[in-house]
Amino acid sequence: MKISKSIYLFFLPGLLLYTLFFVYPTVSALFYSFTDWDGLSQSFQFVGIDNYERAFTGDTIFRKSIGNNLKFMLVVVVFQTLVALAFALIVLKNNKTTIFLRALYFFPTILSSVSVAFIWSFIYDPSLGILNQLLELVGLGFLAQNWLGNADIAIYSLAVTQVWFHAGQMLIIFVAGLQAIPDELYEVAKIEGANKWQTFRTVTWPLLAPSATIVIAYTTIQSFKAFDLVFAMTGGGPNNSTEIVATYIFDIAFRSYQFGYASAISVIFMIIIAIITFLQFKALRSDRISY
Amino acid sequence: MKNHSFLTPGILALGLLLTGCAGESTSDTSNEGGEDSTQISFIHWRGEDKAVLDDIIAQFEEENPDISVEMTIYPSEQYQSTGQRLLQDGSTGDVFTSFPGAQFEAIASAGLFEDLSGEDFVSNFDEELITVGQKDDAQLALPYQLVFNMPVYNKGMFEELGLEVPKSWTEFQEMADTLLENDITPIAFPGADIGPNQFMNSMMMNNAPDEDIFEKLQNGEETLTNEWWVKTLEDFQLLEQNGYIQDDALGTSQDSAMAMVANEEAAMLATGSYHMSALLGLNPDLQLDLMAPITVEESEAVYEGINTATFMLAVNSQSEKKEQAKEFIAFLSQPEIASQYANETGQHLTVNDVEYESEVLQNTAYWIDERTTRFQPRFLITNAQIEAAVLGSIENVLGGADPMTAAEEAQQLVDENRE
Repeated sequence: MKISKSIYLFFLPGLLLYTLFFVYPTVSALFYSFTDWDGLSQSFQFVGIDNYERAFTGDTIFRKSIGNNLKFMLVVVVFQTLVALAFALIVLKNNKTTIFLRALYFFPTILSSVSVAFIWSFIYDPSLGILNQLLELVGLGFLAQNWLGNADIAIYSLAVTQVWFHAGQMLIIFVAGLQAIPDELYEVAKIEGANKWQTFRTVTWPLLAPSATIVIAYTTIQSFKAFDLVFAMTGGGPNNSTEIVATYIFDIAFRSYQFGYASAISVIFMIIIAIITFLQFKALRSDRISY
Repeated sequence: MKNHSFLTPGILALGLLLTGCAGESTSDTSNEGGEDSTQISFIHWRGEDKAVLDDIIAQFEEENPDISVEMTIYPSEQYQSTGQRLLQDGSTGDVFTSFPGAQFEAIASAGLFEDLSGEDFVSNFDEELITVGQKDDAQLALPYQLVFNMPVYNKGMFEELGLEVPKSWTEFQEMADTLLENDITPIAFPGADIGPNQFMNSMMMNNAPDEDIFEKLQNGEETLTNEWWVKTLEDFQLLEQNGYIQDDALGTSQDSAMAMVANEEAAMLATGSYHMSALLGLNPDLQLDLMAPITVEESEAVYEGINTATFMLAVNSQSEKKEQAKEFIAFLSQPEIASQYANETGQHLTVNDVEYESEVLQNTAYWIDERTTRFQPRFLITNAQIEAAVLGSIENVLGGADPMTAAEEAQQLVDENRE
């Protein structure tokens, strides 16, 4: 069958948008990463690999922000995946209660980041916050903390908020994945005498691997880019303890007016995310099976 | 040097997107009926001033039927990240505003300020208060607001307890002890947001009376491990250890800190004069004034407080409507217009002959002429990364670190970021 050349015109709008909003900014960032552009001036100078050298050897906060990002990412990926999976198993069957619960769990996802930041800043407030008051009420006052003001725990407090914010979204992916598993396989497992854990390990999880891959990869990328929540709740403080790479890039670009250096960090950041996502895909692909 | 005019399409695309983002806070007061009118763009970050500025713009348009003003208000952070980027092609921000310090320096370096030296309306401003908008003998911007970045205190409470404004660090501690004995937290410190960057100014003003101290820090002549900064950090540590600031101060937001003062649980709010109106809104019975901690002995004290001339009005050098933009600034600098702005926003201004009507503005106006205040030291740190290091050391100490250790860690960051 001969395909008319005019069909290629249909690619054009998508290609144009992709080029304008992805290729162009990416190439621009790469270009500026070799310059000292301040983001405002009409001119700049090429500085070779100076920005990259600075990022790797002379920037304590950048290294700290990567460390914070990894802590944040690990907590969020582990807990968001587990919470979403656990809740998905609970609300798997289609009835009025589970449909209501799915909507309820999904609800935080539709809120704006700023609203979530406001709600959780209030929850975490050391004197007026609900969390500490609740702990006092149930006799666990000794667990009350300065959740966002203590540099040792602030990043984990943010991670909990992130999990609350996005677990519902991941739950939907898991529910879709679980509902796609054929019932026959569970029947066979039952006939073979498999208990619940064996059924989950040998039937559910392997067939859920494609969904889990999406959830974990998406959660990883999402937690690396969790700019708005962190920015609104702590601004990277106290003393850079919640500074993640995305907030640091903002600081460097828009408060310090070092656009060239911010571009270099962005490029490094992009490469780190790509590597981690690639490794995750590779690891999770080995778990997949097909019948 | 490379010219990157090829970037224009990208910047325009970005501009279109970002203008969309600011849409909700856009106030278009343009005179749509006047075909011959020239529309100028006025961008700033003060959403709380929208109503009064809308009214002032309406008056301006009535007086100048050939000019209309489109005001776009960006949230403060968005203004930094996007608003000022739109200045580059001259189509937005014929009149714009800038903070002093790093932002002013960056915009000046980019050549986006039109030189206002010699304009008639410059003489409407107090010449001593507009120096912060000068660079290389040119008046690049005109600060409009005058704020005092020092603690607001409950004057009525002090009178009830027989307390006087302390004149030395020893007296300050005695005063704080008396407040504690009366179950009152001496200082409500909003450490989760603006506390460190506001309170550092008055805490260090007499420990380092040299106004060039941060310039010296930035060029390597001074370090944070020297006496002036370590003493400042030790003073912060003392406030924290003695309970002079509330528990968990680093987790306290400005709203919570304001509530503490409004409810008279705390005697002082470690922010600035700009919060006085809001405090009175929460508790109209409060009697308020300003007081900076004197961290040295009385005989060594040089300064009594901190001032900041900010919300700096400027004309975009890339604009094609500079004359109309200057007309608008001239209008804002007229005493009666400035008085309206001052009284409706609860701010002191840098404009001469402003008549303050509100009680709180009248009662604190003596700080403008009768007290020895110094320009906010934080705004003299022109490198934002160094500023972050300085502020981080305060948070570090309030988090439990030893002052010298915190100073050393901060100095390392200063060394990394020195240009």
